[in-house]
Amino acid sequence: APKSSKPSKVNLKTFIGCAVREFTFLAKKPGCRPMRITTDACWGRCETWEKPVLDPPYIEAHHRVCTYNETRLVTVRLPHCAANVDPFYTYPKAIRCDCSVCLTTTTECETA
Amino acid sequence: MRIPRRSAAFNVTIKSDHRGSCQGTHVIQACVGYCESSAFPSKYSVLLASNFKHITTSVSQCCTITKMQKIKVRLHCGASRRESMELFTAKTCQCDMCRLSRY
Repeated sequence: APKSSKPSKVNLKTFIGCAVREFTFLAKKPGCRPMRITTDACWGRCETWEKPVLDPPYIEAHHRVCTYNETRLVTVRLPHCAANVDPFYTYPKAIRCDCSVCLTTTTECETA
Repeated sequence: MRIPRRSAAFNVTIKSDHRGSCQGTHVIQACVGYCESSAFPSKYSVLLASNFKHITTSVSQCCTITKMQKIKVRLHCGASRRESMELFTAKTCQCDMCRLSRY
């Protein structure tokens, strides 16, 4: 499976693996005008499994998700900020992405 | 978008004790699949709530067992004696909560 490459020419419906992918978001901060930013983030499908086992909790799981492996912090200046507001906004840019655990020290881990 | 999950068959060998005086094998089903996940820069509200520690947000699903079924496995104890034991096999699978992906 391709890893850490931009899946620009692959079929996204069938892509398996974890790759750097372009992502656009609105950088917002109170006191500044929001700014649309396009950066590199992570996206993909990682192999995950669950199998029944004899002992409690009776299910053994391998849950790995597509997340950042290496990042670079980018700082931009938001436009039209109020005089008393720090205009700088810092966000991560993905350098490498991998199927791995979600680190709660640096990441908001959401699952549904 | 998800890749359809599939169940995977694997062999289990059950021994009644450490010496393995009773023993049996059976094929059971597991769930294996490729569910969508992504990670991206956190919203400002997440940054604020985490004191600017959670700079990234990960949204993910994992392949999980949704239904299990009990099956009876016959154990052979030597030449004549037989015992049986109940264990589970996966019946249905789906992309759902990654219960064990956090660290």
